[in-house]
Amino acid sequence: MTLRRIVVVGNGIAGLTACDTLRAEGFDGELTVVGAERHSPYSRPALSKALLHGGDGLAAHELPAPTHGATELLGASAAGLDAEARVVKLDGGGGLPYDGLVIASGSRARRLGGGSKQETDDGDGSGELTLRTLEDAVRLNELLAARPSVIVVGGGPLGMEVASGCLHSGCDVTLVTDGEPLVRQLGGYLSGIFTAAARANGLRIVNGPKARLIHSGTAPKVALADGTVLAADLVLSAIGDVPNTEWLAGSGLLTGGVLRADSRGRVRPDIVAAGDVAFFPTRRGLSRVPLWTSAIDQAKAAAVGLLRGDDAPPLEFQPYFWTEGFGLSLKAVGFTPVHGAPDFREQGTDAGSTLLRWEHADGSGTAAAINYRIPIPKLRRLANTGAHAARPAEPVTA
Amino acid sequence: MRIELDRPRCEGHGLCEEAAPALMHLDDDGELVIDSPDVDGEQDIAAAKAAVRVCPVAALKLVAA
Repeated sequence: MTLRRIVVVGNGIAGLTACDTLRAEGFDGELTVVGAERHSPYSRPALSKALLHGGDGLAAHELPAPTHGATELLGASAAGLDAEARVVKLDGGGGLPYDGLVIASGSRARRLGGGSKQETDDGDGSGELTLRTLEDAVRLNELLAARPSVIVVGGGPLGMEVASGCLHSGCDVTLVTDGEPLVRQLGGYLSGIFTAAARANGLRIVNGPKARLIHSGTAPKVALADGTVLAADLVLSAIGDVPNTEWLAGSGLLTGGVLRADSRGRVRPDIVAAGDVAFFPTRRGLSRVPLWTSAIDQAKAAAVGLLRGDDAPPLEFQPYFWTEGFGLSLKAVGFTPVHGAPDFREQGTDAGSTLLRWEHADGSGTAAAINYRIPIPKLRRLANTGAHAARPAEPVTA
Repeated sequence: MRIELDRPRCEGHGLCEEAAPALMHLDDDGELVIDSPDVDGEQDIAAAKAAVRVCPVAALKLVAA
């Protein structure tokens, strides 16, 4: 059928990219985008990177104004979906009928306290901070001005970036992590490099499982399984994200509570999904990959999948990920974590500048650049296999 | 339309090059070079828009010529 009305639920980078791609692919019908946040899309990766490390005022996250010409319903959330009647129900009442639907409702910060924070809420009184939205970032920057002591719970990329930003602001920072920082996401080799730099920059690292928040007195405290209790002026958790799928309960679209899309982003022929909310097929199985470039790649594929169905090209996903902190900048193409030492290494011109490559059993590779300026297309060629693959000059023999 | 680069903001990710390889590239030092700052025609403008959009640090702008 001809699509006359498309509704996009979610106005982050996935929703924005879907709108742009629909237009670029020739969709000139009625386009409506529903965004829970009250502003136009911004760069979420910048919130814990440039925005928290100063230098660019509070502008590092700003993206150019949208040009897709969609009707933007900002500060509005989808409350339900009737997939048979093809209507998105809004939280303020009313509904949006559609011929085609893009689900890009994203995810929110997982919390130690368990509760899920609303976008505009200033917290639940527990003192637990998270960093997910622009409001979170503005508030954290304001709080850091007084140089409070900070406990960051979570040793993933976000926790490490926040810890680095807090140190940069002159705070005393303790990172509580279950396992060595970044091991789960990047593997032991890269974890070792970042952890050493973090310690050299003054980060105190407490390794212990099952951190929980305890409520006593005025300052928040964090308790560990071994009985250790830590206190600081601020506690910020960075323990992952939770997909925003509640509005899809009862829609019949969820499988075991999760939203699954195919390699063209399709959940059904008239419904596609993209971004942090969705699981999709990758070389490493059905995965949810809540990263900037993943959201963009998925949204492009999903928009074309909605318009062209089986004629749309399937997404051949290759992750691109970057993180910064403690004076290090890492860019990586390919799946992580990577195990063991790299198979190839090339020293850059500056000290600490290095290009790395790991081979995987399935023939694919992961390429990583640390403090090494390299275009992503080149890094992709390093990660790739086959005729177009490139290799750093020196195999690692040591 | 004209592509403008805010060079101090550029982190050299090169996602723009992937979106618009005919209009820009990163050189061997990882510095972004805008090969065709003035864009015209539907296809080039669409590619330029995609390049601007994909930059996570908003280092690119597309402005009226």
